[in-house]
Amino acid sequence: MPQNEHIELHRKRHGYRLDHHERKRKKESREAHERSHKAKKLIGLKAKLYHKQRHAEKIQMKKTIKMHEQRKTKQKNDDKTPEGAVPAYLLDREGQSRAKVLSNMIKQKRKEKAGKWEVPLPKVRAQGETEVLKVIKTGKRQKKAWKRMVTKVCFVGDGFTRKPPKYERFIRPMGLRFKKAHVTHPELKATFCLPILGVKKNPSSPLYTSLGVITKGTVIEVNVSELGLVTQGGKVIWGKYAQVTNNPENDGCINAVLLV
Amino acid sequence: MALYNFKKIMVVPTAKEFIDITLSKTQRKTPTVVHKHYQIHRIRHFYMRKVKFTQQNYHDRLTQILTDFPKLDDIHPFYADLMNVLYDKDHYKLALGQINIAKNLIDNVAKDYVRLMKYGDSLYRCKQLKRAALGRMCTILKRQKSSLEYLEQVRQHLSRLPSIDPNTRTLLLCGYPNVGKSSFINKVTRADVDVQPYAFTTKSLFVGHMDYRYLRWQVVDTPGILDHPLEDRNTIEMQAITALAHLRAAVLYVMDLSEQCGHTLQEQLELFNNIRPLFANKPLIIVANKCDVKKISELTEENQKILADLTTEGIPVIETSTLTEEGVMQVKTEACDQLLAHRVNTKMKGKKVHDVLNRLHLAMPAKRDEKDRPPFIPDGALTRRRAMEVDAPKRKLERDLELELGDDYILDLQKYWDLMNEDEKQDRIPEVWEGHNIADYIDPDIMKKLEDLEKEEELKERAGEYDSDDESEDEDMLEIRSLAKQIREKKQLMVMESREKDVHGPRMPRTATRVERKKLEKEMSELGLDMSDKNDSHYAEQARRSRSVAKKRKRETSAPPTSKTRSQSASRPPRDQSGLRDAKMVKKAKKIMKNSQTDRNRDGRKGESDRHVYDLKPKHLLAGKRKSGKTDRR
Repeated sequence: MPQNEHIELHRKRHGYRLDHHERKRKKESREAHERSHKAKKLIGLKAKLYHKQRHAEKIQMKKTIKMHEQRKTKQKNDDKTPEGAVPAYLLDREGQSRAKVLSNMIKQKRKEKAGKWEVPLPKVRAQGETEVLKVIKTGKRQKKAWKRMVTKVCFVGDGFTRKPPKYERFIRPMGLRFKKAHVTHPELKATFCLPILGVKKNPSSPLYTSLGVITKGTVIEVNVSELGLVTQGGKVIWGKYAQVTNNPENDGCINAVLLV
Repeated sequence: MALYNFKKIMVVPTAKEFIDITLSKTQRKTPTVVHKHYQIHRIRHFYMRKVKFTQQNYHDRLTQILTDFPKLDDIHPFYADLMNVLYDKDHYKLALGQINIAKNLIDNVAKDYVRLMKYGDSLYRCKQLKRAALGRMCTILKRQKSSLEYLEQVRQHLSRLPSIDPNTRTLLLCGYPNVGKSSFINKVTRADVDVQPYAFTTKSLFVGHMDYRYLRWQVVDTPGILDHPLEDRNTIEMQAITALAHLRAAVLYVMDLSEQCGHTLQEQLELFNNIRPLFANKPLIIVANKCDVKKISELTEENQKILADLTTEGIPVIETSTLTEEGVMQVKTEACDQLLAHRVNTKMKGKKVHDVLNRLHLAMPAKRDEKDRPPFIPDGALTRRRAMEVDAPKRKLERDLELELGDDYILDLQKYWDLMNEDEKQDRIPEVWEGHNIADYIDPDIMKKLEDLEKEEELKERAGEYDSDDESEDEDMLEIRSLAKQIREKKQLMVMESREKDVHGPRMPRTATRVERKKLEKEMSELGLDMSDKNDSHYAEQARRSRSVAKKRKRETSAPPTSKTRSQSASRPPRDQSGLRDAKMVKKAKKIMKNSQTDRNRDGRKGESDRHVYDLKPKHLLAGKRKSGKTDRR
């Protein structure tokens, strides 16, 4: 025992108080009463926090109880059948999978030509011009109102240079320019921070697409070379589409879902 | 170099606690009210303040953790090595590095979101941005959970390390497990180290302090070391090796001659040779412990030869027994002397000593004449020193007597008394004798004091201090005294008479009842006053005057006045009746007076001159909002 552990040393040499164990037991049994008293008497913000925490605890307790109960009962195990197991009357069929893949590729190519995609967010709220563009008054008497400032998050390319300030109509402030997006792969359920290559389509208006405004529902192109995806032919995929799923101007970051 | 105090490191909170504390602090210490209709810059400022406040708190607390924990490069190498052994230097540095990274990340997050908030144009947007910022900061901290837990454990252990000063005089004990190192330190210092028959009882470093030659010495007890190469050593042994390597101390290598520790003498000597390089530049002593079981002379020839060789090399081998305490003091003095000499030598070789030496000057007094003046040592000191050296027992102490007699021992202080008659020592002393307290008389000089007092009293009496001064009074005083005596007697008689009257109910004061003239004159004449011819006296006049006013006195019949003012006041009618002819007029005058008083009375004024203004609506009762209580009254 190290030299500084006075409590333990004293316990080793002289033992416990005569009523120590009883007091300890009683204190522990009182804990339930104290907890319930606290739960009843707390008010305000502390009560909210406490009840939230307690709710989470209770859920966990219920789960463990259920788990214990499961162990006692016997259940049919559904995993016993291995993958690819086929009932007897289907044994002759094969070669289906490959055909499906080929036809999927053809379907996708057709869709791209048509300009229609299957996206996770089919419908989004349209953003009006007053919402996205703010009027900036200029001129000696602040009367001219032809300039607009973008109030939403936008993307400008690498080689972007502003037009001369006197003539630029749409101002995209530097504070609102983002280069990276947090892209989630829907099947892997993993999120990566990938650089944006460009804005493909903004559902509200083609003006926004040309400006590079990113709102909820916008389809952007991201650089997926990090993921190391490879085509059937052996080429490395380095660009993929993703759809934005949050309001970037409210959250300060762009969250997107990869369109597989 | 920052000064570290291992015991004063602030508690490192767990990740969850940290987040809770900071968020609740933000909620309490920043303004909470904001509305949609406020101006946008005000809304922005409100939320920016919250983000910055949270960032500031996290930053401060994390910085404090980073500065409190010692940097391994800044502390004494002994402690650096010890911490490496106990906590693993890499893990420690990594944990602190993670905390640093988290701190920087939090700062960056706050900066970004504050920048974004400048473009917030609505309350909702600013609020969402603040929420995102705080959430991000808390997530960064949640990821540091394991680092924070590790640092908390390190802090707790670090604060419990024994406070070993690496620079002061130290004795270091080392050797195999179970040879008697802990018993030695228990004997020499007040450290209470556990001594048990199993190996590795001591699992960490222990420190004890002792005094020698008016200096403080540290004695460090180490866990036992086994004989295997450095790489195979476990944490416990590594602590001992660290202490050996870094502390500049006198090393006491403890050996067990009786081989009760479970290792032969050969093995112990092997170990000694293996760790010999660690003893370079340190005064070394070999302590042959447990000599009560086996002495050196009982060893085999070759073993004795080996020990003799060591002695010739310059390493003293001293037999000790921590059980019987023989040789322990010898080891102590030997080790301390050697270490002192070593330290002095090192200091002399250093540079700093010259500053001091240059300022020292030993002055020897010049001889005055040829007379020899040796130092004077009293005999008592000499005998005591001889006794100390011989280690002879001094006079028998009470404690020894107590131990001897055990249960029968009674503390008897009366045997030390110095009486004229020796056999009276055990006599019981009574407390009271013939009605006197003996304690009052217990005074060795009491007879002498009594004689002195009596002499003094005699002198005083002869001088006449106690004579009464009756003759000094003159006739007047005597008269007054007799009169006073008479008065006292009379008074007492009157008191007794009135008590006998037996009056039931409340007593009227004497002044309320009328005293008749006859009674007054009779009483006064009894006392000796001449009461004849008192018709003109004041009391007679007053009695006459109490009759009604209407009867006018004839001026001629009355006696001539003794003084003018007296006659005027005596003859003047009272104010409310002067100038009025008859009772009817008196009544009318009274009515008029009452009429004039009604207005004043209504105002509650005491009289004509009462101009006091009352405060009918005090401000302290009527001002202010009606905060609580019913509103139908004040």
